[in-house]
Amino acid sequence: MTMAFDQVRYRSRRRRSALTMGLCWFATAVGISALLIILGTLLLKGFGGLGIGVFTQMTPPPGSDGGLLNPIVGSLIMTVLGVAIGTPIGILAGTYLAEYGRHSRLSSVVRFVNDILLSAPSIIMGLFVYTVMVAPMGHFSGIAGAVSLAVLVIPIVVRTTEDMLLLVPTPLREAASALGMPRSLVIKQVAYKAARTGMITGVLLAIARVSGETAPLLFTALNSQFFSTNLNAPMASLPAVIFQFALSPYAEWQKLAWVGALIITAAVLTLSIAARALSAKGSK
Amino acid sequence: MTEISTAQKLEAGATAVSPDVRISINNLEFFYGTSKALKGINLPLYANQVTAFIGPSGCGKSTLLRVLNRMYDLYPNQRAEGEVLLDGQNILAGDVDLNLLRARVGMVFQKPTPFPMSIYENIAFGVRLYEKLSKADMDVRVEQSLNRAALWKEVKDKLTSSGLSLSGGQQQRLCIARTVAVKPEVILFDEPCSALDPISTARIEELIDELKADYTIAIVTHNMQQASRVSDHTAFMYLGELMEFGHTKAMFTRPQNPKTQDYITGRFG
Amino acid sequence: MSQHTVAAFDAELKELRAAVQMMAATVDTQMQHLAEAIEQPESDAAQRIVAMDRSVDRMQADIEETIVQMIARRQPVAVDLREIIATLKIIADLERVGDMAKSCGKRLLVMGAPGRQAETMSTLLSLANQARSQVVDVMAAFTARDADAALEVWRSDSTTDNLYTALFRELLTYMMEDPRNISFCTHLLFCAKNLERIGDHATNIAENVIFIITGEQLGTDRPKGESPTGSVVR
Repeated sequence: MTMAFDQVRYRSRRRRSALTMGLCWFATAVGISALLIILGTLLLKGFGGLGIGVFTQMTPPPGSDGGLLNPIVGSLIMTVLGVAIGTPIGILAGTYLAEYGRHSRLSSVVRFVNDILLSAPSIIMGLFVYTVMVAPMGHFSGIAGAVSLAVLVIPIVVRTTEDMLLLVPTPLREAASALGMPRSLVIKQVAYKAARTGMITGVLLAIARVSGETAPLLFTALNSQFFSTNLNAPMASLPAVIFQFALSPYAEWQKLAWVGALIITAAVLTLSIAARALSAKGSK
Repeated sequence: MTEISTAQKLEAGATAVSPDVRISINNLEFFYGTSKALKGINLPLYANQVTAFIGPSGCGKSTLLRVLNRMYDLYPNQRAEGEVLLDGQNILAGDVDLNLLRARVGMVFQKPTPFPMSIYENIAFGVRLYEKLSKADMDVRVEQSLNRAALWKEVKDKLTSSGLSLSGGQQQRLCIARTVAVKPEVILFDEPCSALDPISTARIEELIDELKADYTIAIVTHNMQQASRVSDHTAFMYLGELMEFGHTKAMFTRPQNPKTQDYITGRFG
Repeated sequence: MSQHTVAAFDAELKELRAAVQMMAATVDTQMQHLAEAIEQPESDAAQRIVAMDRSVDRMQADIEETIVQMIARRQPVAVDLREIIATLKIIADLERVGDMAKSCGKRLLVMGAPGRQAETMSTLLSLANQARSQVVDVMAAFTARDADAALEVWRSDSTTDNLYTALFRELLTYMMEDPRNISFCTHLLFCAKNLERIGDHATNIAENVIFIITGEQLGTDRPKGESPTGSVVR
């Protein structure tokens, strides 16, 4: 090899490359260690309080033992209901954007508005539902909480549904149409099937997102010390209980707040991993 | 001596109505928005014959194919003017049922497009749209169609596996089987082999040759050798115009239009 | 005609044409020597004709190999295909022309100088010159891609035929006059036949030149001059 290249230039390039690489590693380490510290702290402070009682007993009055049954049930009810309301709306809207209104002016407006909703602070959603539901009804309620979560779910599902449907290759739709299939069937039988894993992933991510939301619930479902499945009454939720207990001066409450935080984090983590696994399987 | 023989003259005037014309394209113009993609196309497609469309990219050959099953109707701002007669009926008319038209004029695409479902379902799916068959009859139809596409032997033991699990060439034959299963009259092939290896390509070409016994076939291809191998008639298009149409045998030995000659001999641009 | 996108194909076609012209020039040299051998029995022109035949054969083999390669690698169509296929046939005709000239040369060597009938030899020379001009003209038409000139050569074959028939009758007369002429006349008869054949090959080449240009095959009704006798196989 008789390459007469510029040694100085080459060495300086290698130095810059090494420097950039080092910065990348550092940034990654910061990110990962933040996550690990959070998980570690949660496990350290929350794992000790974890027991069967947490899932069977009510939130206690200050100074006594208890569990988190009512906020867990409340969170489950409101999350399931919120997702049940938001998902169909989101999927239908996403389908409109990707399939029917792809070239229309209306859909670009809808898409823009949806993107704003997607990044809007969740407390605004809470205030909105407070204004349109809680205030007219005169009291906080579980249903208002569910609706506020649904309002958060919709833009996420709209976005993922549209993105996933846009990923379905046009020739696949054309191939279905070329067999003489009506538009609605093409979407239902072919496009949804092809985009299925992506769309499910989107819903899972939406669940993960809303199950940790506190702000909208404070304005809508408020909180409750009692076990309640009445959607017309205030309802407990894990994030709201964590908020209340963590700020309290009582050691038992603080301990339960850590346990609640651990439970939420574990649930969100599980959903996220499930979503990742699903999309990895789908892309195969 | 230098004058064109009688056979040549007949080819040149082949647009005259003859009894075995299945599709007759008359004064067809096509627009993407305001830009004209096809200019005054006149062309017959003969029953039980393969007609190949060749020409450089953007010449309008795929556009023409997509007029024949009105695939362009899926998109706004695309419109066709003129007349395309399928068995005497103008398919460009407003009252044509597009789904029924597409069931009569099948299409196979550039990339294999199996539906995300089992091999069996890929075929049964289209059939179910227009026919109510018993399970036994459907089994027969699926087997027939796969046989017709020379795929049955390879997939008969795995009809329940996903259509996506097949190789590219097999997927394309599955798409052909799926198209054949709904019993169309015309099959349009839009560059069916451009994503396939030479052996799969040869299989598809052999298949096209067999299929023409029962169907009217139109094929768009970038591969001129392929056009010369599979077709009976060839149409050379350039900048939205039909430059030359004639028997494939004559087209590849003595093309009449200098543009055709330049294109097929590789002297373009 | 415009260039191929693949420039190497153009270069190959150019080389092919040059090789064919080289082969044609060699065959023409043989024909020149043949005229010289007819006019000047003492010259060594006849030996030179025979010696050149081998290089003509080698040229044909080389060109054939080039053509096989081009068909395999370029898959020519339309005018390219016609040129390559016609060239394959043209070089076969040229090779036969060379063979005919060689055969004549050999017979002239065997005949030797003495006993040559001056008048007959002059008719033979005319025939040789006529055949040569057919080959020269048709190869000029090939080079110039001139269908009309090729057609002209095709038509002129009847002149060659007529000269051949005249010579045939002349030779018959000599043989009947004096049986001692028979040996000499038979040699000349074969020479004459070979020269007539050269004209036929030139006609074939003309047909192929026209095929390259128009893509049409000429009909089988080639213009023929009068035939020497009804029983003579042409």
